[in-house]
Amino acid sequence: MNNYPFTSVSRRFSIAFVGVVTLVLLVFAIMAIILDSAKVNADLEKQLDNALKLSSVSLPTPLWNLDNTVVDDFVGALFLHQAIVYAEVVWGNQLISRKIDDRFSQEGVEHFSDSAQFIDKSTDILFEGNKVGSIRLVMSRESVKHKFFLNLIRVLSLTALIIFSISITSLFITRKYIAGPLSRLQESASSIAHGNLDTPIDKASNDEIGQLAMHLDEMRESIKNLFVEVNKSKEKIEEYSRTLEQKVDDRTQELAQSVEELKALGEVSQVVGSSLDLDKVLGSIVRHAVMFSEADCGIMFRYDEEEQVFISRMDYGASREFVEALRKTRPQKGDQSAMGQAALTGELVQIADLHKVPDYPLKCVIDEGFRALLAVPLLREDKLFGGLVVQRRQAGMFPERGVNLLQTFAAQSLIAIRNAGLFKEIEEKGRQLARADKHKSEFLANMSHELRTPLNAILGYTELILDRIYGEVPEQIDDVLKRLEKNGRHLLSLINDVLDLSKIEAGRFKLSLNDYSMVELIQTVSASVEALVAEKKLTMKLILAEDLPIGKGDDQRLAQVLLNLLGNAIKFTEEGEILVEAEVTNQSFQVSVSDTGAGISEEDLTIVFKEFQQVDGSSTKTKGGTGLGLSISKKIIEMHGGRIWLTSEIGNGSTFTFSLPIRVEQQRGG
Amino acid sequence: MSRSILVIEDQEDNRRILRDLLTSRGYNIIEATDGLAGVESAGVHRPDLILMDIQLPGIDGYEATRRIKADPDLNDIPIIAVTSYALSGDDQKAFTAGCDDYVAKPFSPRKLLVKIEHYLAQRKTGGNG
Repeated sequence: MNNYPFTSVSRRFSIAFVGVVTLVLLVFAIMAIILDSAKVNADLEKQLDNALKLSSVSLPTPLWNLDNTVVDDFVGALFLHQAIVYAEVVWGNQLISRKIDDRFSQEGVEHFSDSAQFIDKSTDILFEGNKVGSIRLVMSRESVKHKFFLNLIRVLSLTALIIFSISITSLFITRKYIAGPLSRLQESASSIAHGNLDTPIDKASNDEIGQLAMHLDEMRESIKNLFVEVNKSKEKIEEYSRTLEQKVDDRTQELAQSVEELKALGEVSQVVGSSLDLDKVLGSIVRHAVMFSEADCGIMFRYDEEEQVFISRMDYGASREFVEALRKTRPQKGDQSAMGQAALTGELVQIADLHKVPDYPLKCVIDEGFRALLAVPLLREDKLFGGLVVQRRQAGMFPERGVNLLQTFAAQSLIAIRNAGLFKEIEEKGRQLARADKHKSEFLANMSHELRTPLNAILGYTELILDRIYGEVPEQIDDVLKRLEKNGRHLLSLINDVLDLSKIEAGRFKLSLNDYSMVELIQTVSASVEALVAEKKLTMKLILAEDLPIGKGDDQRLAQVLLNLLGNAIKFTEEGEILVEAEVTNQSFQVSVSDTGAGISEEDLTIVFKEFQQVDGSSTKTKGGTGLGLSISKKIIEMHGGRIWLTSEIGNGSTFTFSLPIRVEQQRGG
Repeated sequence: MSRSILVIEDQEDNRRILRDLLTSRGYNIIEATDGLAGVESAGVHRPDLILMDIQLPGIDGYEATRRIKADPDLNDIPIIAVTSYALSGDDQKAFTAGCDDYVAKPFSPRKLLVKIEHYLAQRKTGGNG
């Protein structure tokens, strides 16, 4: 709202109206007074003229007759006119009569020269045409003034009266016809502004205000209707928001419930997945089943196939007595108990009120005060494992979620039971495996020993004969004995390889790490095969970098690798050269054995390192060897943290290279 | 005067191979077929060298070696383990028990002879008759 001081319309109107009227009246009054006073002045002058005329008629004779007394009387008579204040009759220079009003006697004749206050006129007095004297009359304008003021007061009083009457009237009129209705309108508007839309606006007058009132009332009506509409919409919105809130509440609750269910399922799943302790798992399942079906007690039954009865396996919320009673009277497949029926039908069975079931077979359930029951069988592939029952003291159906969850829990129980069974099986298998493994390693150790003993005799005797310990030997027998010895040694290498590989597989292949000289190692191994090289009329060349450092590793095993590579090179080369090279690259020994043999095709490059594989199946027979050597060599190099590879080309020989960390402090893998 | 070598070995063929090998070289062979007999024989005969099998009836070769080496009169006699225990670590066990050397079966009689002669030569130069 604005802050202009409030001034009523009627007052404004009255002020304006009265102001205008006052102004007009005053103008008229003043004009009237002025006109009137002019007329009074004129009258006064006329009276003076009349007095002078009268004097000029009355005085010649006395003057002529020098009758001063008559003159004096006449002058005195003139003073009867109140306005005349001075009279003087002169004859020649002689003053005949003179009279002055008492009020002015002291002030002197000069005083009358003020024309504003006085009218001063003279006339000659003629007798028969001769001047016999003159008369001077002074008239005071005081009476005029007096009359003027009187008039003024009269006019002003009248004006004031009129103004007063008009004011009252106008006030009344404006009150009645403008301010009143306006005030009522204002009240109505204010009432509307304050929200009261029900009181109709009085629109009795048929003028502009009436029309304004009418419009205002129309406005009120439309606002009222609008309000009704708005209220309706508001109610609708409120209704919507209420339903929305309800819905959100419901959803939140549902969600919370779902989350809890998921959490429970998660917990159960976790227990099922992580624990192989069947009691713990089933305990968790029964507890959750009771919680989510809003039951008081839950029993997990194991099914005894022979007797076709359910035996309590796990319980939650059940009293000792009840569990004891359940052991005595067991639910039986096909009986009228919830469990019995669930077992029979393979479906979930719900009993909303036990009191309505005549002759329920398990009296202990009723005695314990349970009214509602929910039973679900634990079935897998038509095999009955048991059942899950939840019981509630209050009659009525179980919540749908609980029912659904119970079936999930039943499925979880089955998994748990199966897991536990599997675990037992696995444990048993593991034990068997461990036993078998122990047997295997014992067997290998024994085999190794047992095979070596007779082999020792064969090789020992053969060597003694060949060394002529027992005397001369015919050449033919000597040749045969050499073959015998060669085969004996081959058999020994087979035994060694198989033993090594078994040890590798069993993870019992241990490196014994020592300092060693790569140069010495290569030289020693090369020396040991010199005879073989010479025998096949091949040449062997060593190219060893100078200053090869002292290495750390299992030198015996590394010698085995080198021997294997050299053995292979010699074995598969018919003519040409065997080249052994060694250098240090990237802080690793890089040792290669090259031959000028038949070479290996690209697709066979990786096969050679696999167990019991030789490139040409026939070569095993002609060349001997198990095909285990390279596989063992690869494992040995890898256990040193190195790697071995083969480059070859058919017809251009093969090169086996291994890269080996110079100092191996720890064995890799197994 | 021929050197005497004690062969402790339960297996007949192996004993015979060693006997044939060593007698052909003029050594005097004393034989024992189990651990205890071997220890006793070592004390009685004070051989110049002992060839010790490990898997023996009664006390095994390790124990027999320990006992002989524990005897101050006998502890300078070199003992070479001759065994079919060719698994890794077996050699170490033999050394730990007190053996001076280790030969895996099947052994080459020729190479064994080289070893034996090496130890006997050492003993000779050591001046211990």
